[in-house]
Amino acid sequence: MRFMVIVKGSGDCASGPAPDEKFMARMRAYNEALEQAGVMIGVERLQPVSKGVRVSLSGTKPTVIDGPFPETKELVGGFWLWEVGSLDEAIEWVKRCPYLPGHGGEIEIRQVLEPDGFGPALTRQAREHGQHQRAQAGGRK
Amino acid sequence: MRFMVIVKATKDSEAGILPTEKLLTDMGKYNEELAKAGIMLAGDGLQPSSKGARVRFSGSKRTVVDGPFAETKELVAGFWIWKVKSKEEAIEWVKRCPNPMPGDSEIEIRQLFEAEDFGEQFTPELQAQAERTYSQVSARK
Repeated sequence: MRFMVIVKGSGDCASGPAPDEKFMARMRAYNEALEQAGVMIGVERLQPVSKGVRVSLSGTKPTVIDGPFPETKELVGGFWLWEVGSLDEAIEWVKRCPYLPGHGGEIEIRQVLEPDGFGPALTRQAREHGQHQRAQAGGRK
Repeated sequence: MRFMVIVKATKDSEAGILPTEKLLTDMGKYNEELAKAGIMLAGDGLQPSSKGARVRFSGSKRTVVDGPFAETKELVAGFWIWKVKSKEEAIEWVKRCPNPMPGDSEIEIRQLFEAEDFGEQFTPELQAQAERTYSQVSARK
């Protein structure tokens, strides 16, 4: 099962001390452990939300709103994609994640929808197309 | 520049209502256009938050909270990773996206950090690790 593991935050480090070398080393070791266990598919960090935009798709005309957005606590600051056997396994890995006070005190774990999860509405053609895209996106199992 | 394009959740997506065959077909075409234009690096949908969990960090304490989560509009329902020349190009592509939800929906566009954004403290060893892991989620070129 694949999981998206989301670190909450605005991406703006002003809310706490900047990560020091010691913390970075711990995070590096954590990422290495994820890799060695075959859990890690990938990891990304997002730029501060002030550089982002939102597009509202309601009615016929899309509306564009510039960041920053007020819901700082709920925004995505960064994420991993993991391949694990269960939600519980993902939770155990998250509990081992290094934590720096002031930087996203919450991590959200969300299961990725696999093509089978779409049910019969997903035609065979769309299914195969999806597999093709996933293969392009990054050699997943 | 790489962007994470986040489809926000709605009442329907959180209820586990799956897309219709028409939407899957329209979305399949749109994804194909993104792939042909060389923009699409990755894309996935997420299961409702009821199948997820959150881990809260406080000092040495780790608290697990089971989904679903209340802030429906702030949750991630799905995402793409795109490689485009500018934020404006990403916005133009989002405007062409079939509305991914039966009702109103919102899509957030967030720039991803690249290795060069971290400056000198991002040593060659760290870059090598990042290249290994980042490239698995979304090939950079």
